[in-house]
Amino acid sequence: MTQQGVSWIDKLIWSWAPESFKEAGESIVKNFWLHWFPAKVSRRSLAFNYSFWLGTISAVLFAILGVTGVLLMFLYVPSVERAYPTMKDLDYVVAYGWLLRGVHRMAAHLMVAFVFFHMVRVFYTAAYKKSPTGGSRPLNWIVGVLLLVVTLALSYSGYLLPWDQLAYWAMVIGSNVAKSVPILGKKIQFLLIGGTEIGQATLIRFYVLHCVFLPLIALTLIVYHMWRIRKDGGLACMDQMVLKSEKERVESVGSKTYSLLGITRGMEVNVLTSARAEEENLIPSAPNLAKRILWVTLFTMFVTMVLAILVRMPLEAPANSAVAPNPAKAPWYFLWLQELIADTTIRLGRFTINGGFVGGVLIPGVLALWLALWPFLDKSSPQAAGVWFPRERLRQNVVFTLIVLGILVLLFIGGICRGPNWDFYWPWQPWPELPMHF
Amino acid sequence: MSEKERQKEGISRRSFFKWIGGTTAFLAFAGQGYFYVKALLPRVLYEPLKRVKIGLSKMYPEGGKFLSKLRVFIFKEGNEMYSMSSVCTHLGCNVKIVPLAKPKKVKVGDKEFTETFEFFCPCHGSKFHADGTPYAGPAPLPLPRYSLEISPEDGQLIVDTGKEVGKDFRIKVKA
Repeated sequence: MTQQGVSWIDKLIWSWAPESFKEAGESIVKNFWLHWFPAKVSRRSLAFNYSFWLGTISAVLFAILGVTGVLLMFLYVPSVERAYPTMKDLDYVVAYGWLLRGVHRMAAHLMVAFVFFHMVRVFYTAAYKKSPTGGSRPLNWIVGVLLLVVTLALSYSGYLLPWDQLAYWAMVIGSNVAKSVPILGKKIQFLLIGGTEIGQATLIRFYVLHCVFLPLIALTLIVYHMWRIRKDGGLACMDQMVLKSEKERVESVGSKTYSLLGITRGMEVNVLTSARAEEENLIPSAPNLAKRILWVTLFTMFVTMVLAILVRMPLEAPANSAVAPNPAKAPWYFLWLQELIADTTIRLGRFTINGGFVGGVLIPGVLALWLALWPFLDKSSPQAAGVWFPRERLRQNVVFTLIVLGILVLLFIGGICRGPNWDFYWPWQPWPELPMHF
Repeated sequence: MSEKERQKEGISRRSFFKWIGGTTAFLAFAGQGYFYVKALLPRVLYEPLKRVKIGLSKMYPEGGKFLSKLRVFIFKEGNEMYSMSSVCTHLGCNVKIVPLAKPKKVKVGDKEFTETFEFFCPCHGSKFHADGTPYAGPAPLPLPRYSLEISPEDGQLIVDTGKEVGKDFRIKVKA
C-alpha cells in the first residue's frame, strides 16, 4: 500500500482496514489514532459476553458529553439572572437546542449508570486482581473508583447550572452536607459556595468546576486508566490465557517480548504466552478492536439520541430561595444518598449527629474506601481473575450484591415511596393534596 | 576537611545543597497552592444584609408571618414579638408553617404549652413544635431565634439574622 500511485484517500484510510497481517502490524505503528492499541488482542477480551463493552461505552459517553458540553458553553451564560433564560432559549429558540441539551443530559444519566455497571462487571470478574505477569491492576481499580466519584461530581455540578428549583435546592442540600462535617464544615462550605449564601459566586464556581476542572481530572484519569490496561497486560481474562498456556506448554517457546523497552532491559514485558495460545486466541487490533470501538460508538450515539428525543426533558421553575419544592428530590442516582441523609441523624442522649454528615459523608466515604481497598483484601487465587462468578469468590460476590441491592432499595424508597414532607407512601397510595402556599 | 571529618559531620556539601534545593522547590509549590486557595476565599461578600428593618410592629398580624427573602418567621403574641429562622437545621431547606386542625398540648423538657401550628420541612420530613424544637425526622437542632429590636429612629422593627438569641428572647411592643 505504500507504493506509488495510490490515491491520497487510500493513504488516509488503509490503516483502518489492513489487508494482511503485515499491514495490520504496520497500521498500529503508522496511524496516530491506533498507536495506543496493542498489536494483537485476544478474542476473549473483545467478546461481548465477557466485558459487555461497558468501559468503552462509558468512554464514548464521556466523549459525547465533551463535544455537546463545549457547544452548550457557547449558548449558556453562568449568571444568576441569565442562566435560566438561556436554558429556555435552548429549549425553544436555538436550532436543535433542545436536542443538544437532551443529548448532553441523557449521556450524563447513561454515563453514571454505565460507569457503575462497569464497576459491577469488574468486581464480579475480579478483574482488579494483581495479574500473574506482574501487572498492577489494583491501582487501576482505584483509578476506576476515583472515576466513579468524578463522574458523580460532574453530574452533580452539571444539574446545578440551569439554576432552576432542582439546581437551587440541590445546592442548598449539597452545601449543607459539606457544612455538617465536624470542625471544618463551615470552612468547606464557604470555599465551595464562595460565601455564606448561595448566589452568583456559587454558580460561577460550579460552572468552572463542571466545564474545566472536573473534565480535566476525568480526562487525565481516563487516559491513565486506559494506559494502565496495556501496562497490566490487557484485560484480566488474558491472565487465564497465560495461566492455561503455561500449564499446557507443548513446545517451549518461552516468552514473547512486545516492546523495545523489554529488549533493552533484557526482560519480558507483560504478555508471556506460548505460541500455540497466541495462534488460537489472538487477532490483530487493526481492524478488529478499531471496528468494535466504531460499532460501540455508533450504537451509544444512537441510543443517546433516541432517548434524548423520546424522554421528556424537565426544567423546573426558576430558582426560588423562599419555597422548596415539596417533596424536593435529587436525580435518581443520588436518591439513595438523599434517603440516607434523611434517616441517619443519630441521637445519643443530648448529643446529636446530623444525618447530613452520617449519610452524606461518612457512609458513602466508608463505602468508597472499602471499594478502593477491596483488591488488597480479596485473597482468592489467581485462577479467579477474569472469570465470571468464580466459586471461590462466592461469599464476597454475595456481600457485594447485597450492598448493591441495598442501594437499589434506598433508591426505590427515595424515588417512589417518598411523598410530600418526605412521608412514606406505597406506590399505590395517593399523595395528599397540598396547598400551594402557606 | 578530611574524609573522616566530613563523615563525622554527617552532611556533605552535595547533600546540603540537595536539601536546600528540595526544600526551596517544595516551598515554591506550596506557596503557589497557598495563594491559589486564598484567592478563592472571598474577603468581601456581596450578599443581602443580615440586619434589616422590617416595618412597624402594628403591620404584623397576631400569630406568624413568613418573610421569604430573609427566611425568618416573625411572631406576635399580644404585646410580645420574637423571630425564628425558617432554615431547617438538617440541611437548610425552608420549613413551612402548618396550622393544626385543633390545638395540641405538647411537653418540651419541663415546659408544657398548647400549640396551634407546627413546622414541617419538605426536603427530608423534619417536624418541629411551635417553639422550634424538632420532634420527628432528621433535624438535629431546634430552629434558631434571631434578635429583634426596635429602631430608635422611626420605631420600625429590626431583625438581625446574624445574631442568634435564646429561646426566651421576646420584645415588648404596643399591641
